[in-house]
Amino acid sequence: MVTAVEELTALLGDDRVRTHPLDQHLFAKDAGLRRGGAAVVVFPETSGEVAAVVKTARAHGMPIVARGAGTGLAGGAVPQEGWLLVVLTRMNRIFEIDEVGRTAWVGPGVVNLDLSQATAGLGLHFAPDPSSQSACTVGGNVATNAGGPHCLAEGSTVAHILGVELVTADGNTIVVGGEAPDTPGYDLRGVIVGSEGTLGIVTRVLVRLTENPPDTATLLMAFDTIEDASRTVSDVIAAGMVPAALEMMDNAMCLAVENFVQAGYPTDAAAVLLADVSGHPAGTAASIELLTDIAVGNGATSVRVATDASERALLWKGRKSAFGAVAQAAPDYYLNDTVVPRTRIVEVISKTYEIAERYGISLMNVFHAGDGNLHPLVSFDAAEPGMTERVVAAAREMVIVAIAAGGTLSGEHGIGVEKRDLMSSVFSAEDLDAQARLREAFDPDGALNPEKVLPDGARCFDWGTA
Amino acid sequence: MKTLAAPTTRLLRRLHDPTVDIDAEFVVAPTSMEEAAEILAAATEVGQAVAFYGAGTHRQIGSPVDADLVITTTAMNRIVDYQPDDLTVVAEPGVTLADLEAALADRNLTAVLPETEPNATVGGVVATGRSGYQRLRYGPTRDRVLRATMATGYGKVVTGGSPVVKASTGYGMPRLFTGSFGTLGLIGPVLLKLWSQPRATATVVVDEPEVVRNAAYRPLAVLGTGGIGRIYLGGTREEVDAQAEAIGGRRSEGLDWPESHNPALRLSFRVPARFVDDAVAAARDLDTTGWVAQYGVGIVEAGYDRIAPGGFAAARSWAESVGGSLVIEASPDELRRKLGAWGSPPDSAALQRQVKVRFDPAGICNPGILPGGI
Repeated sequence: MVTAVEELTALLGDDRVRTHPLDQHLFAKDAGLRRGGAAVVVFPETSGEVAAVVKTARAHGMPIVARGAGTGLAGGAVPQEGWLLVVLTRMNRIFEIDEVGRTAWVGPGVVNLDLSQATAGLGLHFAPDPSSQSACTVGGNVATNAGGPHCLAEGSTVAHILGVELVTADGNTIVVGGEAPDTPGYDLRGVIVGSEGTLGIVTRVLVRLTENPPDTATLLMAFDTIEDASRTVSDVIAAGMVPAALEMMDNAMCLAVENFVQAGYPTDAAAVLLADVSGHPAGTAASIELLTDIAVGNGATSVRVATDASERALLWKGRKSAFGAVAQAAPDYYLNDTVVPRTRIVEVISKTYEIAERYGISLMNVFHAGDGNLHPLVSFDAAEPGMTERVVAAAREMVIVAIAAGGTLSGEHGIGVEKRDLMSSVFSAEDLDAQARLREAFDPDGALNPEKVLPDGARCFDWGTA
Repeated sequence: MKTLAAPTTRLLRRLHDPTVDIDAEFVVAPTSMEEAAEILAAATEVGQAVAFYGAGTHRQIGSPVDADLVITTTAMNRIVDYQPDDLTVVAEPGVTLADLEAALADRNLTAVLPETEPNATVGGVVATGRSGYQRLRYGPTRDRVLRATMATGYGKVVTGGSPVVKASTGYGMPRLFTGSFGTLGLIGPVLLKLWSQPRATATVVVDEPEVVRNAAYRPLAVLGTGGIGRIYLGGTREEVDAQAEAIGGRRSEGLDWPESHNPALRLSFRVPARFVDDAVAAARDLDTTGWVAQYGVGIVEAGYDRIAPGGFAAARSWAESVGGSLVIEASPDELRRKLGAWGSPPDSAALQRQVKVRFDPAGICNPGILPGGI
């Protein structure tokens, strides 16, 4: 009998089907902490090839997981022993750009930043801008409903995806959504985004492109206490103001960043806020004034306004290098991701510091403050016995605190394997059952990325009438 | 036919609302989602078709439905949780847009729902997935439904989404529910994302909206109505002034939306944004009595006194050939039966049917209202 690997090799050739232990080791984890098992790794280059490998895997009973650049942090793209891992990075073509309609059809393997650079000449960009944007792919952004600093005003990835071509669990290829608004029927596009590869494999993406703002200013505001900075964020939102971005970094983070890229961050401040205000040039001055007033009213010790492109880029370089800078402190880091109502930031942040202190771990905070998306970051050495377990336990407590404050599990990283057992802390059994029904409609046999997103037993079967 | 259990019969009798003027055998007005779920469970058991009714604003969209029972949301009309400091609100389905906006006005906030449908209900707008003109700036309604509760066809109350403005936590159930036209169950309370009203607004009348719209940075809306173009601006006083001047044309203060005239026959062309002028031409070829074209969005809504089936078929086939659709939004039932309310079913019709059957296994919720007989 022909093995799955032989069949896949006949489809894609030797070099695009990898079973060498080194490949399997490399592809057994994403950027998070969890390592999976040895999978058969394939590199399709067309939608037709994806459909063919899905059919082959199904015929051989292999579970299937899709992967982009592997920058995910929740283990969503981590395979298990014997699975088929479909790596989409070679499907990285930009097929067409519609300048008038401000849309583009792109392959899932297109790197996020490459797309914005390719459309820069047209005065357009792809709005979602995760910190990993120079590496992460559009397909991965779709899978996790990725965010980034500028999602505050522009919305997460789902608001920027108009349609997708999808290879379904049975290997069929369909298109959902499209350039025209309000496609009749269910908004399946809207549920595929953020479904972490459990509803199908996205093989082409129709993205909405956003007009570059004619004018942008970046503000760096320093505070003596975390509470002052947090209260500023709450007050900005309560004033009905939605800046293009509103980020917070605490002192530990500023020190690490300054040491790493010398972006000119104050190293004596307890926290800084980094904000973008953008729009029509006639409106920016008023926004800068309002933001400055609120910051000063909450005890800001300095407000630096950068209007020229190079100074703005330097300030943002500080923010975007945060995760690289952390490597100076310790070899490993664990980045948490929760969201809380903007009215509760102050109390939740102070509780995360208490938790870190209690566990004796080193906590830094760098996060999307404007939408309440917290990212407590723990740097540690996994080689230290018991350390990883301690870090994970502390992170879990931080999640519980966020939920207790009316928040949720993840703002932009997704659930993956990391938080699936926490899903029942935010959803009832009936809520989870409804989600399982949706998943079952797409993938009745559970072949696509099983053991992800929903906890075991999410589907409450109706034992009553058949 | 099976008979209902006594408690369900008592519940139906208690919730029966004979004052509602709807053509259906029996109208009930549940006061909670649990009651609605109990009714749906009973209807599933006996196989009775159920339709849902808010203000009736959108009752002619979709294929006609013969319902044995109508559930109205009139007894669920409270604003449950208003968090102005977090820019969110939770509204029950029977709240009218006028009442919602009035409640948000104290802090100068808006839910950016259809501007010219004050009597429509939140539940109706979410169920039909309708957006207002300002979707050009703020995105469609479905981008603002952060959490939604539904009484499903199988008779359970489920909630999907998250109570915060940004989330990647489980499946995007609010997006599935938004625009599902009551085919999965009854939409209950929804948590909506709010925006601050711009401090200044203006409407600028121009001849060719498509040509001059780039003089404005992200206008609230760009509309064409019967040969007149209107560009709607919002922001600070300074930026509104600067943009109005750059555009030229006749300016008036505030947002002067086209009058809602609700013709008995109404079509909606939904096409890629670059085809809006072609859609206007197609609408005029069918002898429209008046239209509103949304530039940058791709929707042209046009009213008619009568519709010639031949011309309609040609217009629909053109709209579908450019990747869009031509939807009948208001008409006598016979016309939608004859011409088809939606046009060709989507590529994903088989998948949609799989979704439908899992939320409404007995097929009792607004059966057949969506394309593909869903």
